[in-house]
Amino acid sequence: MTKPKVGFYGLTGCAGCQLSVLFSEDEIVSVLGLIDIVSFPFIREKNIDQHFDICIVEGLVADKHDLETLKKLRENSSILVAIGACAHTGNVPAYRHYTLKENYQHLLYEKKEGIQDIDPTPLDSWVKVDYTIPGCPPDKREIMNFIKALLLGKEPLTYSSPVCVECRRNNNLCLLEEGKLCLGPITRGGCNSVCTNGSFECWGCRGQTDDANIPAFVALLQEKGFKREEILKRMREFVGLKLPESTMVFFNGNNNA
Amino acid sequence: MATYTVRKLDLRSLLQKIMQSSELIAPVKTDLVRFQVVEDPHDICLTEQSFYPVKEFIFRKHEVLVSFNGKKVITPVLEPKERVIFGLRRCDLNAIMHQDKALIEVDVNYRAQRQNLTLIGYHCNEAPSQYCFCGTLELKDFYDMMFFDRGDEFIVDVATENGSRIIGKYPEFFRKSNHKVTEADKKIKNADRLFKTDISKLYDHPDWQKGVDKCLSCAACTSLCPTCYCFEIKDEVSIHDTKKVDRVREWSSCQLKGFSRVAGNHVFRDNRKERFKHRIYHQLDYFKKRYGINMCVGCGRCITACPTRIDFVDIINGMK
Repeated sequence: MTKPKVGFYGLTGCAGCQLSVLFSEDEIVSVLGLIDIVSFPFIREKNIDQHFDICIVEGLVADKHDLETLKKLRENSSILVAIGACAHTGNVPAYRHYTLKENYQHLLYEKKEGIQDIDPTPLDSWVKVDYTIPGCPPDKREIMNFIKALLLGKEPLTYSSPVCVECRRNNNLCLLEEGKLCLGPITRGGCNSVCTNGSFECWGCRGQTDDANIPAFVALLQEKGFKREEILKRMREFVGLKLPESTMVFFNGNNNA
Repeated sequence: MATYTVRKLDLRSLLQKIMQSSELIAPVKTDLVRFQVVEDPHDICLTEQSFYPVKEFIFRKHEVLVSFNGKKVITPVLEPKERVIFGLRRCDLNAIMHQDKALIEVDVNYRAQRQNLTLIGYHCNEAPSQYCFCGTLELKDFYDMMFFDRGDEFIVDVATENGSRIIGKYPEFFRKSNHKVTEADKKIKNADRLFKTDISKLYDHPDWQKGVDKCLSCAACTSLCPTCYCFEIKDEVSIHDTKKVDRVREWSSCQLKGFSRVAGNHVFRDNRKERFKHRIYHQLDYFKKRYGINMCVGCGRCITACPTRIDFVDIINGMK
């Protein structure tokens, strides 16, 4: 069997997702036996722009250069994979869609030649994305499972149940009971509840489950004393542009109970 | 079989002795009370109900059913060590009995975990949680030994050979008693709050919606239920040698959409209401039809742990 040619790329982002791939210390050597990493600019000097069977892209589109790179990668790739919350949802950078320019203008870099700003947007705002590995950063087991599934010709399965499932399985104390604004019940798991295991509440980086009961969840948080605005803010923080329409409708609607 | 007394101040020493020859599992309090392997008997907490149930020590969260090594299928050899579980409430013990009914004959892994296992109960005098409702569920005597708390001492009822073995091994702690354990001893105060145990004709009752509206489908209820045993099976291929595969079983939950998803992406219980009712009907109707006994043991953990505190006991009681 010829090994599939794989490229790892990063657009605007923190490189944490690419590091998650590299941090799979126990597996990475075996992975190299299964795939041919032909391009990985983050860790390698010489990289060949060519056809990729699988191209795994981190980060989001924030300037014109990102967009050109992404379009070229799409053209060159049979399978394009968005890895991590930025590529998937737009993550924290996309939050600027929800606020006025005057609130962040002072934080922007000075306009320099060569930098042409684009509103931060996830990959699928621009090109067709075949698969997504969610999370900020993604769980390394999930990265491995994804690679294995593709190699075996299986459809990679995205974990669909809420974070609470893994959190309870890890015998944790529920952080909602502690009075924390934890988004576990409405957030897709697969992260082995890594944050809540350490008593840090879930901020929803993997996106909402398609089964989230928003009215009940918001009512619960309001009962615990949280305000609608802070709930919405927390829900948007990591979900970027992927907050479901139904959730927006709920918050915009006449639900000021 | 026989009744004994144990002085309360001797309990820690007795458990310390047991720990020398067996693994001891008991409720331990840290931020919550959980059943865990005991390191120091002083950590054991008998004043509260354990938040998490004991089931993970018997019906494992993650276990390999069979492996394929590239050439042939291998069944793991399970060699259960000597284990004693102490501090099981009447509900916890009945929950083990109910899981036995469903699994012990058909499931090799479960059967192995039930071997070399001694079950020692600690009987509630009063409901330890406001959500308890075991009183009307006709729980049975199911234990090797049961400790009844009588102030300075325990009355210990020994029901099996397994229990007698503990007496024989550590006779210095046990004094023979003439006390006969009666129904009065087994009465648990303030645990009779479920008034209706026959819900067979209430499936279409509109009041279920009260629970459904508050349900987040987070599966806390089934994770913490001592009887729930739904699972999923998947194949885990080794990244180091893709010819090697473990077929793995993991806990799952009827409250999750993915649980009833089949090939072609069809989901049988797509609707939250059907999932919500399915759990309660499995607990209080379907299991009874099959095994002649309610699956639910009335421990109330599904309510204690529910983020929105859906009290299905209240919902059922209120149905006209």
